[in-house]
This record gives sequence, C-alpha cells and structure tokens, in this order.
Amino acid sequence: MIKYIVKRLLQLIPVIIVTSFLIYWAMNLTSGDPALLIAGDKATPEMLEQIREEMGLNDPFLVRYGRYMLGMIQGDMGESYITGKDVFQTFMETLPNTLMLGGAAVLIAVIIALPLGIYTAIHQSTWKDNVGMVFALFGTAMPNFWLGLMLILLFSLKLGWFPSGGKAGFSSVVLPAVTVGYGLAALIMRTTRSSMLDVIRQDYMTTARAKGCSERQVIFRHGLKNALIPIITAIGMQISMIMTGSVLAETVFSWPGIGRLVNDSIARRDNEMVTGAIIMCSICMCLINLVVDLVYAFFDPRIKAQYAKKG
Amino acid sequence: MKKKLALLMCLAMLATSVIGCSGGNGETTSGGETSAAGETTAAADGATGHKDTLIIGTDVDINNLDLQAQQDQINNIVLKNTHQALVWFTNEGEFEPGLATSWENVDDTHIKFTLRDDVYFNDGNKTPMTAEDVKFTLDMAMESVSAPNLAGFVSCTVDGDYEFTIETESYNNEFVQSLASQNLAIQSKKAYEDGVEDPYYIGTGPYKFDSWVQGEYCRLTKVEDYWGATTDQEVPDWAAPGVAETIDFKPYVEASSRVIALQAGEIDVCVNPPINELPFLEEDPNITVYEQAGSRLFYFAFNVTKEPWDNQTLRQAVACAIDRDSVLQAAVEGKGTLQTTILNRGLWGFYDDMEGFDYDVERAKELMAEAGYPDGGITTTLTYANSSPYESIATIIQANLAEIGITVTLSPCEDATLKSTCVNGDQELFLWRWNEDSKVDFVYRDLFYTGSGSNYHHYSDARADELTDLVATEKDPDKRLEYAQELQTYLVDACPQVPLYIANLVIAYNSNLQGQYFYGGGNHYWAHAYIAE
Repeated sequence: MIKYIVKRLLQLIPVIIVTSFLIYWAMNLTSGDPALLIAGDKATPEMLEQIREEMGLNDPFLVRYGRYMLGMIQGDMGESYITGKDVFQTFMETLPNTLMLGGAAVLIAVIIALPLGIYTAIHQSTWKDNVGMVFALFGTAMPNFWLGLMLILLFSLKLGWFPSGGKAGFSSVVLPAVTVGYGLAALIMRTTRSSMLDVIRQDYMTTARAKGCSERQVIFRHGLKNALIPIITAIGMQISMIMTGSVLAETVFSWPGIGRLVNDSIARRDNEMVTGAIIMCSICMCLINLVVDLVYAFFDPRIKAQYAKKG
Repeated sequence: MKKKLALLMCLAMLATSVIGCSGGNGETTSGGETSAAGETTAAADGATGHKDTLIIGTDVDINNLDLQAQQDQINNIVLKNTHQALVWFTNEGEFEPGLATSWENVDDTHIKFTLRDDVYFNDGNKTPMTAEDVKFTLDMAMESVSAPNLAGFVSCTVDGDYEFTIETESYNNEFVQSLASQNLAIQSKKAYEDGVEDPYYIGTGPYKFDSWVQGEYCRLTKVEDYWGATTDQEVPDWAAPGVAETIDFKPYVEASSRVIALQAGEIDVCVNPPINELPFLEEDPNITVYEQAGSRLFYFAFNVTKEPWDNQTLRQAVACAIDRDSVLQAAVEGKGTLQTTILNRGLWGFYDDMEGFDYDVERAKELMAEAGYPDGGITTTLTYANSSPYESIATIIQANLAEIGITVTLSPCEDATLKSTCVNGDQELFLWRWNEDSKVDFVYRDLFYTGSGSNYHHYSDARADELTDLVATEKDPDKRLEYAQELQTYLVDACPQVPLYIANLVIAYNSNLQGQYFYGGGNHYWAHAYIAE
C-alpha cells in the first residue's frame, strides 16, 4: 500500500510539468501586457520597456518557462506582479479558506444527498421519488449566484441570522457553504439514487432479506456499502471542482478563496500568480484523488487487495 | 399526483419570488440610530459618542500597499490615512500646504521648501520627519513606477533639517501640485536603513497599519501619539487626529452583496453602489445616498493613425452622430453631466463654450459627404472593456453610427487586453475613461501629447504639443488661460475623442456617518470619518 502511495505521489511530477507548461503557454497566448498593469496609466513607453526587460518579459517563451521551472525546483514560485507577494505564501494563506468552504459544502451536501438518494431509490417511481428528483433538478439548474443572493436576502437582510459576506467566524461560512453545497447535493443525490437502484436488485440483497435481516440492515449494511464506490467518486470529483470552481459563490459572498484569487489574477494578467496557483491546485487535486482511491480500499477489500498487488 | 407536484413547484417558485422581489425598506436596520447626518464635514473635532470601528465596503480588492509600487485608486484611499504628502489637495481642487509649510521659486528651475518641524513617524520611536526623508522619498520614487508623477524632477538638495530645494528640468506651473500625489507621500528613511520589514507601512498619518489579509480586509488603527494630537503648533483640518479607533476596508466585489451588506449594517459605507439599486437604498431611513458632480470622464475615441479615422472630418461626422443624452441615460441613468471639451470638469482652465459637435444626424451626414463618404459604407470595430457601463454605451453608439452608414462590430475584452491593444495601436475605435482631478497636464500631456504612453489615440500634432507646453510653462495667468482655452478648442475640433459624459460621484452610507471628506474622482479621505451614536 505504501509503495502504491509513493508511486502515485511520483506521478505528480509529470502532472506538474504538463500543467505548468500548458498554463504558461495559455497565459502567453492571451493578450495583455503585465508591464502596463504594473506601471499604470501614466507610464511612459521607456518605463514600460524597462519593466519588461527587468521582468524578462521580452525573453522567448521557452526561456521564461525554463526560468520559471528552475525557480520552482528551488522552491521559488515567484512573486505576484501586482501585489509583490510570494506566490506560494499567498496560495497557502488562501487555501484554508477554500478548504473551509469546500469542507462545509461537501458536509452539507453529503448530509442532504445520501439519505435523500437512498430514500428516493427505495421509493422509486412514487411521488416521493419525484419530489426528490425535483429537488435535485433545482439544485442542478439553479445558478449559484442567484441562490446565493436569495439566501443573503432572506437570512442576512430579513432574518439577520448570518452575515451577508466576508469571512468572520463560523457563521460566515454557512450561507456560502449551503449555496455551493446544494448544487453538490443534487449531483451526489442522483448518483446515490442510481447506484442504490443498481444494488437493491442484486441477489445478495434478496439473500440478506431471506436470512431475516431487517430492512434497515439490508439497505445500510448490504446495499449502501456496495453502492458507495460511485458515490465516493462523485464526492471526490466535487471536492476537486470546489478548489477553483466556486468563483461565483466566493464573489457573491466576498469569500477570499482560491477561485477568486485565480480569477482576479487572470484578469490582471498576473502570470506568476496564475501559474503558481494552478500548479498548486493540480497538486491538491491529485492528492484528493489519491485520498479517494485510498478510501475505496477502505470500503472494498477487493480494491485493497489490488493495491497491495500493484504495490 | 401531478396536481400535488404542480402545487409544490408553484409554492417553491412563489417563495423564491417573494424573497427576490422584496427590496430594502423601512424594516431593515443598518446599525446605529437615525440622524440627520450626511453633510460633508472636514474634521471631527469634539466627536463624542461613536462606534469604535468604521467599516468601508469597497468595490475592488486592495492589492498592494507599497506606496510607490502601486497605482490603483483603492490602495491610495487606504494609504491616505497612514501617509501624508508635502502638499494637500482639497476636494475643491485647490492646493494647500501639507507637510511642507511653504515654498518659493528661487529661479525657473529651483523651488525651495520649508517643512513642518513637529512631524514624526508612527514607528514607535517618534522619529522626526526631516528633509532627509523627503529627499529619500523623492529619489526612491524616481526609481519606481511612480516616477511619472514626478515628471520634470532633477534632484532634491537638503538645505537643513527642515529645508530642501528641488531642481526641475524647466519651469512648470504644476510641479508643486505633483507633490500631492499619494505615491509621493513621505516615507521614513530610517525604517529602510534599519531593515524594518515592510518599511513602506510607516508613515506620519493619523492612522497606522494593523493588518491586511488580501481579499478579506485591511485594518488601520488610530495612532494614539500622533503628531497632530501632540503638537503645540496649529494643525490644519486635514491633519487632525482620527476619531474611530479602527477603520476597516472590506472588499465586497459583487455590487448587490455590497448593497445588502450596507442594508444589513455589516458595513457603514458602500462605495460605488449600483445605480439600479439606488431606489431601494433611498427608501431606507438608515441609509443616505449621496451624489455630487464627479470628475471621471467617459469618452469614445479614435485611433487616428488607422484609416479611415485619420480623416478629421469623418471623425467630426461620427461625433455628430452620437446621441450622448441616450448614452448618459443608458450608462448611468442620467447621473452625470454632458460636456463638449476633453478636460475633466473641475480642473483649472475648464472651458466648455466651444461649438463642438452636438447630436445632429443631418449634420453628420453632411460631414460624411464632405469627408468623402456620402453613402457611408464604412465597416469598423469598436473595442471596449467588457464591464459596466461600456457595454451599454457601445450598443447605443453602434446603433447611432448605423444611421450614417457605418457598420460597427463590437469587440468587448478585458481591461488588460484593451490597454495592450490600444498601446500597440491595434484598435480602430475604442471606449475608455480618464479620471483626473488635480493636474491639467495629466490630461493634455498624457492623453494627447506626441508619444505619450497613454495617448491611445496615437494623436500627434505639433500645435497641440506646443499649446500643452505653453499651458505648463506660461507664467502669466491670463495668457495661460488663453492657451488652455485655445488648446481645448483645438482638440475638440481635431476630434481624436468624443467626450461622452462626466459620471457623478454616488456613494451610500449609514446615515450616522460624520466627518467624511469626498472627492468627485473617488479618492475619498476617511481619516476623520466615524459613525456617531
């Protein structure tokens, strides 16, 4: 198992190289001169040229990329063009906010989606199932920013229960987490439902009932455990998505997360920040995927045996 | 079954609609008691009961607080409270002594300054601010991106602890005004020499840095032993001690969220509230919506090096075809002022009595014929930033120009892309804005002078350059005014740009706000603002 983990961690190296190259290349293709943004509206052409020269912006793409990678190997991801702050440090300062929001959102999603998915699967093709599906449909179709604004209007302005934005203690994470979590819940619920539907028709479920197990035991011990793999995959994918995919919710709730950091940096052509942040996101996603794979092994002994074999 | 489902869905939709449609009203509270506040006051002497913290909800993130390495207005607004400049620029467009008490022109290229002798830095040691700090600050600025703010500077010579002389390349009417730029606020030489971490945080203002978490907040705390509170000498209003214990700047980038935060009492000031939400705010008895004439000029412009826009008569035809009333209405619901001249309203020498090119489609068609395009038939591209209000403006101009046979393709892009495109001269028509409320030279020279980096029109004209230089260097005020009026008339006729409107300053805040000091261009001074209780 440890060998398997080490192997997976080593796979990060090509991921970093490919990701960094693609991002650096993409940012190179976009128009927009960082020197102009740094120097401001009153900059003279001479000053712009000097900044470009000092920052190495006049060098060919491959030279700049090589220099960037060389710095990264030495643990230096560069400094933001705009803030002058260390890229790695800025990312690490922002990451806990994203993890807090993502963690709370996934928690809310799982708490809602798992019972509802199981319930609708058990009551397939009844009105209960239909209500559940409508709930899921709303979650999938409803724009994040709209739901966010509605929640702010109700719970912040009308009821005054939660702050409307910013990051100030536990209460400030509730509304953004519900906003992000509802969308996730819809997806996880649908996955749970379809996965449970596959499982509840299996022979071993009938056998469990024939052995005298209670319906609760049949569903949770025999059904859910076997249905969990696709659900864990869906949850893992959603966690990865949250890393950079919560821009709208972060903007509406003024939540200082990574999505907003990357989005703002792209708009400002802060190439160092964008590249650094996306490389770090890629590493985080790889680690999340690894954790998900390890969780598979926890729930399914067959997979655990496979890992041991591969290791 | 179907009926039950339909009923459920209807209830859900009704609930969300009720929530969505209900705006702010008298039921909402915004903290503090209602008072008849809202009038702008310069200082807050004698302020008694007040909230400890003033929270300002900003529309953009603070991104860099290194005075001379940053260029954004939001950073300057924060830094105004912590750092002070040699010259103070009032919100009525006048210049007064700042940290420098007086100055005199020794000759055309030398200006001798005298400093206050009672100012010290907020470094915990009360290190006096001297001429050495001024020289250090100005020399450092010349090596930074702030150098254009100090155009014409040659050197600074220290004549004594509180006296120094600045040498300039040539005489310039507005050089002293340059020293009011926030980027040139005085910094501590000792802090840099002692290797203090982030030495640029140390200033002489009534507030000092407490903490800054990017994307979350920037907190300033009142300086207890501030020089303006301990000196025996007279302290001008702008340098009075702060009132609130702390000032927090919190970015609420999404406009609706910022408005709701104000209504919910989470912030005390909502900078740049969206125009379409003002009616809701105006209904709220705890909120004041303040409006005054602004200085930010929005304009439509040509790259005059690109055919056919190198044709002056054709540019004039386009100017006549643009319905600026409609533009003003669509962009800011009429909250602005139309003008003919290219100069920002409120600046010295503002002159708007030239004939110009009012909306007149018949005249536009005549000018089209005169320019050699009697049937139109021109296809061109309008480049602009993909944000408000440019999108509304672009749509109207596209329709206006279609009436005189010009087919416009709209090309929205991000600010960064727009700037690069314009600097490289790749654009044909474009929309942009210019916010200047202190120096006229920052308009004439930056926008229209041959070779200027922000001359996105790529306009080059010997007479315009000559008049720009004359306005900058002519010592006789009457003659200088004549040159200024001639230059504006000349540029309006040359028509490298069509001034669209000057946007009003609109800001919403807790009605108990006192001590605020607003600038039409948005560079507000918050050092004496507080929420009365």
